[in-house]
Amino acid sequence: MNESIKRVNAIFQKDFKDFSRNIAVSVVLFMPLFVAALYGRMGVDTLDAHYMIINLTFAMVATFVQCCLIAEEKEQNTLRGLMLSPASTFEILSGKSLLTFVLTILVIVAGALLSEYQPANLLIVSLAIVLSSFFYIALGTLLGLWAKSVMEASVIILPVLGIFSFGSFLLPLAEKYPVLKVVEYLPSVQLIEIASKVENGAGFSETAMQFGIIFIWTAAAGALTAIIYKKRMMD
Amino acid sequence: MEPTVGSATVFGESISKLKKPEYRQRFGVLTDNSGLYKRMTVYENLKLYCELYGMPLSKINEVLESVNLQEDRKKKVSALSKGMTQRVLLARTLLHAPELLFLDEPTSALDPVNTRHIYKGLRALNEKGTTIFLTTHDMEEADTLCDRVAFLNKGKIQLMDTPDQLKKRYADGTMTVELKNEEKVVLSTGTEDAQVLYEFMKNGQVATIHSNEPTLGDIFVKATGRVLA
Repeated sequence: MNESIKRVNAIFQKDFKDFSRNIAVSVVLFMPLFVAALYGRMGVDTLDAHYMIINLTFAMVATFVQCCLIAEEKEQNTLRGLMLSPASTFEILSGKSLLTFVLTILVIVAGALLSEYQPANLLIVSLAIVLSSFFYIALGTLLGLWAKSVMEASVIILPVLGIFSFGSFLLPLAEKYPVLKVVEYLPSVQLIEIASKVENGAGFSETAMQFGIIFIWTAAAGALTAIIYKKRMMD
Repeated sequence: MEPTVGSATVFGESISKLKKPEYRQRFGVLTDNSGLYKRMTVYENLKLYCELYGMPLSKINEVLESVNLQEDRKKKVSALSKGMTQRVLLARTLLHAPELLFLDEPTSALDPVNTRHIYKGLRALNEKGTTIFLTTHDMEEADTLCDRVAFLNKGKIQLMDTPDQLKKRYADGTMTVELKNEEKVVLSTGTEDAQVLYEFMKNGQVATIHSNEPTLGDIFVKATGRVLA
């Protein structure tokens, strides 16, 4: 195991211990699972319902938890300690994102089992979910770096929750209000589009456009996060 | 912080290179806004930094001993007093035995016993080759620990020398002789009062003799015209 992996692992293990003792934030893991269990018991089996749970998981776990983890590091002045250590920007951001990534995937899998969602093409849907989770984690990191405290982080996350989890609900209004056509390009809507196409037998080539749009969102969020992080290294 | 004017070198390189991770292995920083993970124990906090710096975990006991916290390794940081937290932060800074160490008020909030313990640890570290850059308002601390001191006033170095040289430079050339009858006599350290001192000593009248050298605090006030905060 080289030094870089050791550092990423050290930050991951630290985050795991710290997070497991942070009831106020860790409790949000149960919210998507509760909704999934409810849908499962009610027999709700539409694609929109399954992806409402998945997009809720992205907003609540990938973005909100990540945002709180980063904001707390800033609030307690521990991020400065990491920045002054020999760990590189990539190692710190990877280490800080690994726990959220693992939690996001676990909650999505558990949620899918509870709501009894079985995608027609597990490989394509899994890849889309993994790529999407990178975007939402980058977004959470960005907001966490932006926020001055955990309290502020939990407020600025609300528009994100609204736009990315429930943005697809605005699509029916797009004909009346053309400006809302932009909603079609949200990563959450693109993910639903992939899932929908896959149900109709589509493969990688038919979903490349949607993967491309999610990738652009992810790359943009990642680049912006790296820029803001570098700025935060300066007083 | 980005430099505005001038240049500085550390380890023979421009300070801009200190941003690179490989250079960060060579220095340590303790500032008043350094923080610890409050839900984790002292040991868990130090373990993270041991792993980040690639140090063996055995270093944890060594640094905890140097800050007198061996018995508190299993305590959660949230349960520590301000002074203990400060000592854990200092221990964290010492973990990788940096070549260059920046310390900002390292003994603020510490009681005299722990302050002495920290001084002992810092001297030992310095003897092993670590250059320590200490920022302090405590002139007694500067006098006790520093080989060289620099007085900063309005962002500029006003004076820089060894504490002894500064004291000699600002000395008023007098000494106070306390006689056995509790009378205090101020004499010149030059030859003009030599006979007076000789007479006091010959007659067995001298209780104590103190050179009237200024403290670093006095020198700061004289040099800058400011009062220490």
